[in-house]
Amino acid sequence: MHEMSIAVELLRELESLVETNDVKCVTEFTVSAGQLRGIVPEALDIAFASLAADTCAAGAKLILESVSTVAQCQQCQHRFSPGEDYYLCPKCNQADVEIIEGNDIILKSVVCE
Amino acid sequence: MTKKIDVVKNVLDANDEVALENRKLMQQYGCLSVNIISAPGSGKTTLLEKTIVGLGGAKSAVIVGDLQTARDAERVADVAAVVQINTEGGCHLSAGQVAAALEKLDIRNAALDYIFIENVGNMVCPSGFDLGEHYRVAMLSTPEGHDKVAKYNTMFQPADVILLNKIDLAEVLEFDSSCIRDDLSKINTRAPLIELSAKTGEGMDAWLAWLKNAKAKLGSSK
Repeated sequence: MHEMSIAVELLRELESLVETNDVKCVTEFTVSAGQLRGIVPEALDIAFASLAADTCAAGAKLILESVSTVAQCQQCQHRFSPGEDYYLCPKCNQADVEIIEGNDIILKSVVCE
Repeated sequence: MTKKIDVVKNVLDANDEVALENRKLMQQYGCLSVNIISAPGSGKTTLLEKTIVGLGGAKSAVIVGDLQTARDAERVADVAAVVQINTEGGCHLSAGQVAAALEKLDIRNAALDYIFIENVGNMVCPSGFDLGEHYRVAMLSTPEGHDKVAKYNTMFQPADVILLNKIDLAEVLEFDSSCIRDDLSKINTRAPLIELSAKTGEGMDAWLAWLKNAKAKLGSSK
């Protein structure tokens, strides 16, 4: 249930935004989450809803967008999307990658009142 | 009135910034740190008990993460300084918890050679959180089955070294280590695979040599 840690950080950001932007509450926010984070949308919804009760983000709608994984081979620098062969580089046949996309959790936009 | 605010903020930045500070601090005091991730029951605590004794005169500390109890900390307390973190339901350690543990260990004065972070037993959640370790260790044990590397590839892909523990049971469990090697050839060819038994001591020399080599490299990069 790593969704709880992510919900804690999201709520922290939202509360700080409300404080600094002369608004009262958050009604909706959009998060893009890398595939590799393995976020279960329902679990994040439940974690956030329970944490945000009695805060400025209570009842806010969470829109979750998934971001596909992009890996970069550390041997030949080729960039590719991991598929059936996991992290095997299609160019040099090594599995030594750095994850370029797929690990980030970005708070993209927030709708406030 | 409705107001839309564009943000574009990585919500794990806070964790990653603390992790960076942890890494710098341990580097500054010449202390090699490894973050050990595995399923519950794969033998992390036994591995650490044997590893610390095997490192001889080196001074080690252990940061132990568990949902509840101090049982693991009690086991390693005879051989190392130890800080137990009870996550109270949290399924992984965070950089902030490790930062607090480093203060408890008095890292600036303790003259530690090694810090072993025994993460919460879990093959999924700990992988996504940098604690500031120098190296990531992913461990599997034979009773878990030879299909787990592919199933939990997000744990094995970022690992710097992969341990296969309890190889003394491999035969009776009909454990097929070629399956592990095949999967690793598609998931992580960078990390060495060390097969060992923390219980019998088989293979421990290779693991201890890897640690000593990593420690020597850390010293030379200071």
